[in-house]
Amino acid sequence: MHEKTSSTSSSPSSSPPTAPTESEGGREYAVDLHDVRKSYKGKVHALRGIEMKAQRGEIFGLLGPNGAGKSTLVKIMLTVVRPTRARGTILGRPIGHQATLRRVGYLPEKHRFPIYQTGRQAIEFVGAMSQVDAKTCRNKADELLDLVGMSDWGDKKVSTYSKGMLQRVGIAAAMVNDPDLVVLDEPTDGVDPVGRKDIRDVLVKIRDRGACVFLNSHLLSELEMVCDRVAILVQGEVAAQGTIEELTSASRRYEITIAGSPPDWTDHNGLSLTSLPGPLDGTSTLALPTAEANEIQDILDQLRRENRTIVSLRPVRETLEDLFMRYVHDPETGRAKAPGAIRNIQASKGGDA
Amino acid sequence: MRQTVALFVDAYRELNHRRLFWITIVLSGLVVAGFAAIGNDEEGLTVLHWSIPFPFVSTNFIPEADFYKFTFAQLGVGYWLAWIATIIGLVSTASIFPDFVDRGSIDLMLSKPIGRARLFFTKFLTGLMFAGLQVTVFTLASFLVIGLRGGDWEPWIFIAVPLVLVFYSYLFAVQAAIGLVTGSVIASVIGVFLFWFVVSLVQTGDGITLAWRITNEISSERKIVRVEKQEGRVMDTSARLVDLRLAADGGDAEAADQLPELELELVNKRERLDTITFELAEEIETLDLSQSINGWFHIANTCLPKTSETIDLLARLLEDYAGLMRPAAPADDTVRQFGEMVGRGEFQERFDAELDASHGPFWILGTSLGFEALVLGFAVWRFRRRDF
Repeated sequence: MHEKTSSTSSSPSSSPPTAPTESEGGREYAVDLHDVRKSYKGKVHALRGIEMKAQRGEIFGLLGPNGAGKSTLVKIMLTVVRPTRARGTILGRPIGHQATLRRVGYLPEKHRFPIYQTGRQAIEFVGAMSQVDAKTCRNKADELLDLVGMSDWGDKKVSTYSKGMLQRVGIAAAMVNDPDLVVLDEPTDGVDPVGRKDIRDVLVKIRDRGACVFLNSHLLSELEMVCDRVAILVQGEVAAQGTIEELTSASRRYEITIAGSPPDWTDHNGLSLTSLPGPLDGTSTLALPTAEANEIQDILDQLRRENRTIVSLRPVRETLEDLFMRYVHDPETGRAKAPGAIRNIQASKGGDA
Repeated sequence: MRQTVALFVDAYRELNHRRLFWITIVLSGLVVAGFAAIGNDEEGLTVLHWSIPFPFVSTNFIPEADFYKFTFAQLGVGYWLAWIATIIGLVSTASIFPDFVDRGSIDLMLSKPIGRARLFFTKFLTGLMFAGLQVTVFTLASFLVIGLRGGDWEPWIFIAVPLVLVFYSYLFAVQAAIGLVTGSVIASVIGVFLFWFVVSLVQTGDGITLAWRITNEISSERKIVRVEKQEGRVMDTSARLVDLRLAADGGDAEAADQLPELELELVNKRERLDTITFELAEEIETLDLSQSINGWFHIANTCLPKTSETIDLLARLLEDYAGLMRPAAPADDTVRQFGEMVGRGEFQERFDAELDASHGPFWILGTSLGFEALVLGFAVWRFRRRDF
């Protein structure tokens, strides 16, 4: 449990190059994690064997309740926190490979630029630390300030910035090295709705450039709008992972709202109906557990034969929030799982030692 | 290299942002202006165009160039740079490491392609910029004053730059380690001043107990000579008594008459010998105690950085290489110190010899830098192992 794999304990410069791992679609995995574990003093298990993959050219959302281990996982990827155990690669190199960090951009949660820097200086400084040459840094700073809508503020001290402006400059700084992987921890924290839209547009641009955007956020609606794939982390484990389409496919159904009471039949050609109260008085809703439109045509015909008025027909699927709530609730008790990391006493019950 | 330059440029921006840095530079300017305003002539001290009759600093006693060099080494460096500017510097740089390891800023730094050890040491070196710039500006200005006013363009005074920087680095290493471990500015400030106080106490203790030890050594040596002389007197008297007894036994009436007087004299001399032998035993006991206490202080001083002694090296180096006049040897009169009467000249000569032997420049700098290396080693070990 507590042993360190060679990929994390060996010095970065001596790590052997690893062949880029490819996804089924042929794209290189930007993040390919296996058995990532982190425990503190052997008692608190923040991460319990994370398996996660994110491809280049996609926006990957990491979500989970407070204390699920999201930030710890991100920090392990970026060498800020040392894992208890970790296998896998970041941009095709072992986790902890220092030179690879030149190709990674990062916006930490609640990041803080020194108050004596201007926005431009902050971006250029981050670029210099990523070993980007001075001329490129200057050019990129102009370009990125423009991209995040901060051109007029670039030469003002960051101490005069609002929270949203700091986030914008932080995102610009995360992109100064033209990264192949951009890790953003709560990027829209404190940003107004217009700013969020701008940031979403920026994320899409980064993705379209071929980079992987690894997004850690509490704002499920934001993630749903922009993410290609998501992973839900609960109590240090990946509870679910995939495209939103894949994760919600089981919940896809059609809902037909009709005037009056529901029909007395509950099954038609093998398709069972569930009756629900309608959205308006004097209406009923019929839920049909299928995603195929042709399967509901007979039911619509039957309803018309019974002279029922069809008020609405709509395909329905779980939202990301529904999905999230499903995974963070204990199916046995029906209550939300305890927040935070697993302690030994709980881990032994859960079979994790 | 790109990262190192960026860290230094950023450190300069940080310094530039701090008011205390500029306040200290302005104060340094005032100190140098004051330095330029004073001088000495045949009558004594001069301040601008006023002359103050103070013969001990007149050019008859101390040449003009030496007056400036002495003032630079003792007042400019000894008091201004080594005390006041250092205190301001330590207050000003106290937040560097706590800010550095603060959540939100350290995450970003550690996610960059730079090793933690290199990051720590570069940050440490950037923190020394405060002292480095201050001492360089001050020394350069002083060089000009000594050249223009004293007529001696002495390049050796620039030795003050590395010396003051090394001195400051002992304290800044401790401050950096405390800041890194605690993340607290207040703990950094209080911790480093407390440490400086303890170090100063140990250095003072080492000096005082060395003086006590040497005083006891001189006193004991004198006492040993007195005992030996007294033993000689006793033996001489004993021999005379034996001869006298033989003469008396041979019928010499005069010898027989002298016998009681000589026997009494021998008894008195033996009593005197017993007394001073007892006093010697006491002296040796005190000497053992002083040697033991001085030994412990010296061990403690060896383990800790020698702040004052590092600064004092400047005067020594200027005396050795820049022709700065050495202080005149004290008159060889006898004074009472530590309850014993010792010759000032003899004491000073032996004290200086002991200092040269056990407090040489290599010992001062070597052991101090060794301590600093240990502190920085601990800090970097902690920094490399820590999760943020």
